[in-house]
Amino acid sequence: MTNGSTQQEKPVLLDVKDLKTHFFQRQGVLKAVDGVSFTVREGEAVGLVGESGSGKTMTCLSLMRLVPRPGARIVGGEVWFRDQNLLELTEAEMREYRGHRMAMIMQDPQTSLNPVLTIGDQVMEPVKLHLKERGAQALERVLEALRAVRIPSPEDRLRQYPHQFSGGMRQRVVAAMGLVTNPELLIADEPTTSLDVTIQAQFLGLIRDLQREHQTSVIWVTHDLGIVAQMCDRVNVMYAGRIVESGEVRKIYKEPQHPYTKALLDSVPIMGNPRPRLYQIDGQPPDLRSIPTGCPFWPRCPSVMDICKEQYPPKTPTGGDDFVHCWLAEK
Amino acid sequence: MRRSTVVVRAVDGVSFAVDEGTTFALVGESGCGKTTIAKNVLLLERPTQGEIKFEGKNIHQLRGRELKEYKRTVQAVFQDPYSSLNPRMQVKDIIGEPLRVHEGMGGRRLQTRVGELLENVGLNPVTGGFFPHQFSGGQRQRIAIARALALRPRLIVLDEPVSGLDVSIRAQILNLLVDLQHEFGLSYLLISHDLAIVEHMSHQVGVMYVGKMVELARKDEMFSETLHPYTKALLASVPRPDPEIPMGITISGEVASPINPPSGCRFHPRCPAYQESAICREQDPEWREIAPQHWTACHKVESAVHQQ
Repeated sequence: MTNGSTQQEKPVLLDVKDLKTHFFQRQGVLKAVDGVSFTVREGEAVGLVGESGSGKTMTCLSLMRLVPRPGARIVGGEVWFRDQNLLELTEAEMREYRGHRMAMIMQDPQTSLNPVLTIGDQVMEPVKLHLKERGAQALERVLEALRAVRIPSPEDRLRQYPHQFSGGMRQRVVAAMGLVTNPELLIADEPTTSLDVTIQAQFLGLIRDLQREHQTSVIWVTHDLGIVAQMCDRVNVMYAGRIVESGEVRKIYKEPQHPYTKALLDSVPIMGNPRPRLYQIDGQPPDLRSIPTGCPFWPRCPSVMDICKEQYPPKTPTGGDDFVHCWLAEK
Repeated sequence: MRRSTVVVRAVDGVSFAVDEGTTFALVGESGCGKTTIAKNVLLLERPTQGEIKFEGKNIHQLRGRELKEYKRTVQAVFQDPYSSLNPRMQVKDIIGEPLRVHEGMGGRRLQTRVGELLENVGLNPVTGGFFPHQFSGGQRQRIAIARALALRPRLIVLDEPVSGLDVSIRAQILNLLVDLQHEFGLSYLLISHDLAIVEHMSHQVGVMYVGKMVELARKDEMFSETLHPYTKALLASVPRPDPEIPMGITISGEVASPINPPSGCRFHPRCPAYQESAICREQDPEWREIAPQHWTACHKVESAVHQQ
């Protein structure tokens, strides 16, 4: 983790403005991402945290322009990668970014590797495709990437297939595939959920070291508030397809402004500091096909007011790049 | 002294008891054997050696009425509420089935009891007519808990009961389990890889590594007076939801395979305290009581105590 105060002067790498991705279904329109705005600065690690259905994965797939089709469509907004709006690119132009300047590590290393190709071939693919390197030079780059993710004896491992790797090692291969082109932005979508505790700790340490070394910007998608606390400089809390609070991790964990953020933080058991009873958010996350009017959290909010049921709260700045959408903060 | 519900005794002297009205947690990574123990307790598998005792009797030798009584007394809630409920059965039948089978209950009485059970777990009794797909993950886990409660068991095996659930729903289920424990004096055998949940829920903790228990203690002792290097590594590996407490130093290497475990102490290839000592490589460490009710199997533990 880098010092929060120095982050703000760094140039913005990614600027997402009012992104909207909707699913068009027979039963109606499902607003998976409904007006998401956030920025990622150079070398910064940003968390997207939320529960299932909050839109965090769909936001990332939208940034990569990989939303499932048919069904989903990016219906609005801008995604600025330096001075280029990715949503205006043709599919061919987009390929220059995807897998090259921005890469994504998916949740399940089982399904993101091709079982019939060797590890070497799979890590080689982006090298050939994007860096246009061949032969010894390309091979050296692949080995370098495998070494960087600390796979032992990479020269031998190159020729092996995914089934010959353990879960933790497979996830390192996936990370090597993402990092081999030295991308400016890495999107990590719950990459450690299937890993054991000690293996997860190794993987988190690895990504943090690589991030520091190459000054890569990282978006961490997770429901684990522990990973956000340990890995991120900033956090964006998502609920029902929107970011309800955004800010520096240290600040938000100490003084959450949004009742949902506060409830989330109070609902997890903290090791070494046990609470007699967990705070309980009653009810269910909303059905995205019928989001309540006003603030979508109001039916579960302990401090709900009349206005919450009528109007979505505006963005209230809370210092620096930080903001919250809540009528309590507006008062 | 509390009465124990179930006592598990392995051949190498390791034994633990789930005390009446308390939670015993088994923690460890994949392949450590925690689920195998749970399956043994549930009579889904037979231990090749060692025994599990319930009221002084080996559960795998129970027959007839005693066996039926044991099966009634011990119930389970599994990890995945999507595959543990029959999608074609109405909720009232899922919860009512054990009552019909074991107690021959039917008609109005059954209906009342099912309604009561649904209320116990915080569901509206009218939802008894619904099918599992009409419920969210958290609600399904409540249904599974209601089914487990139906026969007024004394022990419930909780196999990763919240790992498939969202953060906000986890707290609901964990709180519900704690409330039910107090209300009905239940004992829990909790299987979990999540140390924060273990600390929150349990009274006693057993840490397992590649098929063996490496440390056993009261919850408070386990987390404050940790003895075994593996337990220490596990605790250090947890990313805590507090940016002011950085992660500790974790261990390298991978979890060994239980099919071909390392010689001597199974943890030695990854152990920071190993330092090439022959004893760790060659001898299986003895299971010893280092402090009252605090057991561990490690050659290096005494020296570690002196250093502190």
